[in-house]
Amino acid sequence: MTTKNKNVHGILAEFRNPKELIDAAEMVKDSGYNNFDTYAPFPIHGMEKAMGLKDSLLGWIVLAGGLAGMIGALALMIWVMGYEYPLNISGKPYINIPVYVPITFEMTVLFAAFAATFGMFALNKLPRFHNPLFNVERFKKASDDGFFICIEASDDLFSENEVSKLFTDSGATHIETVYDSE
Amino acid sequence: MSKNYEYVPEPKLIKGDHTFGSITNLIAKTPLSSTPKLWYLAFAVANLLLIILLGSVGYLIWDGIGIWGLNNPAGWGWAIINFVWWVGIGHAGTLISAILFLFRQGWRTAINRFAEAMTIFAVMCAGLFPAIHVGRIWVIYWVFPIPNQMGVWPNFSSPLLWDVFAVSTYFTVSLLFWYVGLVPDFATLRDKAKSKAAKITYGIAALGWTGSFRNWWNYEKAYMILAGLATPLVLSVHTIVSFDFAVSLIPGWHSTIFPPYFVAGAIYSGFAMVLSLMLVARKIYGLEEIMNIDIMEKMNLVMMVTGNLVAFAYLTEGFVAWYSGYIYEQGIFWLYVVGPYAWGFWILMFCNVITPQFLWSKSIRRNVTLTFIISIIVNIGMWFERFMIAVVSLSTDFMPSSWDYYSPTLWDILIYVGTFGLFFTFFLLFLRFMPMVAIAEVKGVMPQADPHNYDEETNDFIEARAEPTMANQQTVQQKSE
Amino acid sequence: MSDEPNTTYWKSLNELAQNEEYKKFAEREFPENAPELSDGFSRRTFLRMMGASVALAGFAACRRPVQKILPYSKQPENIVPGIPNYYASAMPFQDALTGLVIENHEGRPTKVEGNEMHPASLGSTSKFNQAATLNMYDPERSREVRQNGDVASYAAFVSFCNQHFSDTGRNIAFISEANSSPTFNDLKDRALSQFPNAQWVTYEPFGEENALEGTNIAFGQRLRTVNHFDEASVIVALDDDFLNPAAHKNSVQNTKEFTQGRDLETGDDISRLYAVESTFTVTGSNADNRFRLKSSEIEQFVRALGEELSVSGISAGGSNKFTNHEWISELAKDLQNNRSQSILTLGNEHRPELHAAVAAINGALNNAGSTVTYHELPYAENQSNREVFSNIVDGLNDETIDTVVIVGGNPVFNAPADLDMANALNAAEHVIHLSDYYDETSALAQWHVNRAHFMEIWSDGYSYTGAASIIQPQIEPLHAGKSAIEFLNTIITGEKSDGYSLVQKTWQNRISGGFQNGWEQILHDGIASEETYPEVTPSLSGGLGAAMQNGADQNESGEGIELVIRPDSKLFDGRYANNGWLQELPDPMTKITWDNVALMSPKTAEDLGVEAAGLGVAEVDLLTIRANGTQVEIPAWVQPGHADGSITVTVGYGRKGIGNVADAVGVDTYPLRTSQNMLFTEDINVNNTGELYEIACTQDHNSMEGRSLLRQATLQEYRENPDFSQYEEAYNAELPGEEWANEHDADAPLSIFDAIAGKDYPDYQPQWGMTIDLNSCIGCGTCTIACQAENNIPVIGKDEVKNGREMHWIRTDRYFEGDKDNPNAMHQPVPCMHCELAPCEQVCPVAATTHSEDGMNQMTYNRCIGTRYCANNCPYKVRRFNFFNYTDEFLTDGEDPEVIQMAMNPNVTVRFRGVMEKCTYCVQRVNSAKIKTQIETDGSMKPPDGMVKTACQQACPSDAIYFGDLTDPESEVSKTKRNNRNYLLLEELNTRPRTSYMAKVTNPNPQLA
Repeated sequence: MTTKNKNVHGILAEFRNPKELIDAAEMVKDSGYNNFDTYAPFPIHGMEKAMGLKDSLLGWIVLAGGLAGMIGALALMIWVMGYEYPLNISGKPYINIPVYVPITFEMTVLFAAFAATFGMFALNKLPRFHNPLFNVERFKKASDDGFFICIEASDDLFSENEVSKLFTDSGATHIETVYDSE
Repeated sequence: MSKNYEYVPEPKLIKGDHTFGSITNLIAKTPLSSTPKLWYLAFAVANLLLIILLGSVGYLIWDGIGIWGLNNPAGWGWAIINFVWWVGIGHAGTLISAILFLFRQGWRTAINRFAEAMTIFAVMCAGLFPAIHVGRIWVIYWVFPIPNQMGVWPNFSSPLLWDVFAVSTYFTVSLLFWYVGLVPDFATLRDKAKSKAAKITYGIAALGWTGSFRNWWNYEKAYMILAGLATPLVLSVHTIVSFDFAVSLIPGWHSTIFPPYFVAGAIYSGFAMVLSLMLVARKIYGLEEIMNIDIMEKMNLVMMVTGNLVAFAYLTEGFVAWYSGYIYEQGIFWLYVVGPYAWGFWILMFCNVITPQFLWSKSIRRNVTLTFIISIIVNIGMWFERFMIAVVSLSTDFMPSSWDYYSPTLWDILIYVGTFGLFFTFFLLFLRFMPMVAIAEVKGVMPQADPHNYDEETNDFIEARAEPTMANQQTVQQKSE
Repeated sequence: MSDEPNTTYWKSLNELAQNEEYKKFAEREFPENAPELSDGFSRRTFLRMMGASVALAGFAACRRPVQKILPYSKQPENIVPGIPNYYASAMPFQDALTGLVIENHEGRPTKVEGNEMHPASLGSTSKFNQAATLNMYDPERSREVRQNGDVASYAAFVSFCNQHFSDTGRNIAFISEANSSPTFNDLKDRALSQFPNAQWVTYEPFGEENALEGTNIAFGQRLRTVNHFDEASVIVALDDDFLNPAAHKNSVQNTKEFTQGRDLETGDDISRLYAVESTFTVTGSNADNRFRLKSSEIEQFVRALGEELSVSGISAGGSNKFTNHEWISELAKDLQNNRSQSILTLGNEHRPELHAAVAAINGALNNAGSTVTYHELPYAENQSNREVFSNIVDGLNDETIDTVVIVGGNPVFNAPADLDMANALNAAEHVIHLSDYYDETSALAQWHVNRAHFMEIWSDGYSYTGAASIIQPQIEPLHAGKSAIEFLNTIITGEKSDGYSLVQKTWQNRISGGFQNGWEQILHDGIASEETYPEVTPSLSGGLGAAMQNGADQNESGEGIELVIRPDSKLFDGRYANNGWLQELPDPMTKITWDNVALMSPKTAEDLGVEAAGLGVAEVDLLTIRANGTQVEIPAWVQPGHADGSITVTVGYGRKGIGNVADAVGVDTYPLRTSQNMLFTEDINVNNTGELYEIACTQDHNSMEGRSLLRQATLQEYRENPDFSQYEEAYNAELPGEEWANEHDADAPLSIFDAIAGKDYPDYQPQWGMTIDLNSCIGCGTCTIACQAENNIPVIGKDEVKNGREMHWIRTDRYFEGDKDNPNAMHQPVPCMHCELAPCEQVCPVAATTHSEDGMNQMTYNRCIGTRYCANNCPYKVRRFNFFNYTDEFLTDGEDPEVIQMAMNPNVTVRFRGVMEKCTYCVQRVNSAKIKTQIETDGSMKPPDGMVKTACQQACPSDAIYFGDLTDPESEVSKTKRNNRNYLLLEELNTRPRTSYMAKVTNPNPQLA
């Protein structure tokens, strides 16, 4: 197969272990690249600093979900028991907040959990049917014992030679160009 | 004299000499290799039980609740006992994956996947009972607040309704939690898989996970939040289950000690069940190095503590019955001990109070066979605990004239046995097709995973310098000379 | 009467109407032979037809009798579908009528109530009266005339009679049930005069015969003894269960009078009841002092008492084992102090001599004429029926009698075993049998004629005390049955007969003034006049002393075990065996359903190695009892309070071929009963087979466990501390929460009345409440049957009762207290308490049970999903669950379910499988009254006090139940709530029940306590 007229997605470099990956990530960041990412079979701690990531937005999404659940549940119960169809049950007050607590709590947790899960997938742009990286056979190791960095072509500073050079300096064991399609 | 200190690292979480790759292969080989004969055999047995379950539930719906041994004072019997028992068991998984996660207990990674799976299937078994125990199952959906032409709504002050919400929420959240944990491992299986079918299936399940750290970054946040949500949830569920009893006014039910006592009992039985399953699975699937003796001992310690909490609750009940001067409470407690169901009480005492005391001995805690036996006994004991609470309190309450003796029928028993079919059918499918250990998380707690364990110059991994992983606190000991 | 309907008021209106619909309807409605009703004639069509005729002809006419009867409360023109009419009638039980008012839905009688104008009812009924509707709609009642077992037409029977009885010289034996009907007795006389060789015996297995013979011995005249319990201050019941309808045919009136004598509100002392008996009876359980005594020793007891009171002619043969007994001395003292105000009453089955002795003692105490009166029966035979009966049997055996006419009754089943009726009847050439069921006797009869139920016939009769009534039909005979009158008349005349004209003929010369008006007045009131049988003031004849001498040799009772045979408290002599309501009613004392057992004291049980049943032990030992050459196998039951060395069995069970309900339930004990030993026999031997038998008992635990559920005190204690029944006194502790409530929470009051004030109850609404006076309640169980009849409660069968799933909305708890050999028994009816803070409501996940504006705890059946949580959380355990589709099984089984469906109350929903149900305070009655009130008073929903009566309240023979509006301070129920005996069950739970209890007060003799 030839590599003619295929647009480059980016350049992928493999490293031996988490330590080297982190160091490399730091170099990449310091060299001013933004559109890059590192890939590992497990989250490596300290990587967020190395890559200079901002805190995740997820917390706010979950808060919203939780509030929705709480207010929704409370509103439903108060409306139903107090206004929509009030019934004399055991001579208790129609609107009887203490007995609403368990359900309110459960609904809060439920909606928060939905928000957390689906919010996370959304932030990660998952599910995703295809990813150019999967064109690279070696990238399979990323879920096993491989440690990769990929600088994407979309980055302003991107130039194949610069990037390859950077990777070689940082001690990559393999460097490979990733194309959008095979 | 001079003191000097030395660092004694905790025992390694993963025994043997493992690399990331070897871990992957060890765990991924089961789902990706061909099915062993033994599995088919086990699956057949499970299916048989499942058919028994479906058959007897069918007959129940056809003929009516009357086929059970229920009577006028005892409106609840085995169905509710089994419900509480299964839900209780269902607590271990989320507890292990959520609470231990928050407490940074690295050893959880060896069993959390396994335990969560058990949780989900146990809760499925549990959820079956409230559904089928009603007189008119075809209108069971009336317990959900669905707008309807009659304009009537559920009664939100009923503990039973709280239960509906609690259990369904618990099931959903556990499922989400479990799946979130599974995604990276599905990716691993996707990449390891040889057959096209496997590639596609696991590929879909993995949602296109790449292991990108930007994803890991949100992922870990989500995982942390889910753990944070699941922790109060897991405590709330059995609390609310206990409300079914505690909020009523039946002597033996109407008791403020129930929520903590139920939660302790739940953890107790949950860990017992995890142990029973784990000790078998680790042997069959050769995972001794991951689900190792250290972990078993840790779980035994949890069992010992919760077991004694439960025992303490029994004592407290007795004391309160006497101290309250409430004749009905005294009556029911006396009936526990010497009444027509006393046999149940003494079985309970043996299983739940005597048995855990053996766990004070380290050698027993580290003995696989004994641990297995104890875990079984504990589960029997926890079933009888619910039996005493549900049946005895009901059949001998305020009005002696209405006292009646409850005894189960064949159908009670078949349905209970049948739920094991449901449980194991799913559990075997899980063992066969899913990574039974959280691959990514295990890797995460291996010393190699920590950049600090590498030589600054050569970037080589230095075993000797292995510092505690994120989960291992340093323990300081005084060395005497 | 359906044969040639004479044109009447009813019909003529329709002939005017001339509509096709009605013609079709009429053809359907008055079929040539009734079974057509069932074939392909569904209840739906039946109702549609009825509806059509109503619409077109302007009144309901469903199976209406052709003759004119008069509604009790309304004129027929006012009949509106859906609004029942009430007709007066009366129920014959042996030879005593109880006046009834029968609720009639579009010509379909569904419920009986007492007739307040009738002395034997005074508005109340017995459980047998209440169960009568189910008897009538019993699908297994005999439906046709049979010749040698094959279905035959009534016409064929008539023609047979015509030729057979044309020979008036025949030797005929008439065997009939006791019947006070003047029409019937006129016919009887006619028969005896028309057939000179005929003999007539009136046989009742449990009748008054010995009592009548007793008065014959004492006074030389067969007289009816009437006790006036309300006027007595000391009552001695000698083996006499006079409060139990199965043991005394006037039980309702007895109960009414007895409870009057115990009324505390009058302020004066209450009567004292001594019971001396072998079996622990209902009456015994209401006694202030009770003495357990073998029935065989009662005679010695009476003799000793007579001697102590020095009544001439009664000797204890110098002295017997009771001569210096404290009971004799105390009793004698008490009786002497209450001369002319005491009653000695003896069980019917004791031998005549003993009845004579008791009569003598009553005479000596001047009771005769005041508390005990004697009356002439217009129809009394002048010789002993027992003798006649044995003559007849001899006559049959040596074949001098060729025809036996049996007018009701079932001698083959219930005649003394030594007479061997089966054999005797086989000897007879012709046996003609009139009966409700094709029973043991019918099987041997050449002709069986199906008898009509009393709600289907014209007849008449006297109450126990002699008040005359006319029985008017409520419905065309469902199966074209014949009344005893019609049957007898056909035999005499050989023609079809018509009860209506026969009864009218009798009354022609009894009604003074205009016949029509008088007749209508009687039908309307349900009673002709209050007058009683002519009272006589008899003088002792010399016969007594001699008679008692003959008795003297039978004086010493053996030390062995005696067997006492009694009528069953539910099936009586077996005639109610196919009545599911009664079969399933727990026996008042044992709480056993669907079985008869051998009752014995704990001590006797120990000797026989019999284990007592209890919580978790439903299986009891099977005994074999051998007596009179036969032996029966019967389960043993340990009954605390039973006399030692004595075993009681009841009869009426072990039926064959009667119906699905009766068959194979219990054991037939009649074979043990001989004409020499009608009450007890000492020549028996009993063995414990060691086999086990499962009993369906609704109460497994007999002790109150020191919980003050049922509160009682002696009269003395009550006088000293009128508030003894309040919580503080009962538990000697403050009511939990009271202090807190008073301090913190003004609107959490503990009393029902404050609660009403404090809560948002709308003031246009009444607030219903109930009070049950335990001092009046005798524990008979009538309320349970009344409730079952009113509220369409299904019969579930022995197995389900055994599973502890009985459906009764009101149960009667029976507790034992004190010494296990000789305890007190106490009865407590428990319906739904309608708690204001009902624990059941808050736990229902679907809000299927909630509170109504008028303060009732309501079940919404069609919302219920059946979690049973409410029942669990009900501290009173009054909620009932349909574990299976009971109603369906009860109402659609058998080949002709439409019939039994007609017994259901159209105003009450039948409940489906899987839903909860419970006492509703008869909400259907409450609401119809509220609607009526609202219409009449435009606005107020508060019916005047007494307008609403719950079924249990209405039926209760001791008026123990009060129901009414608590917002009306003058209502009866409000008064009872203010009574100092009023207390709440489980008050400490703060459920604030609307149903409360009034504590029981007893009046024991301190010397004997």
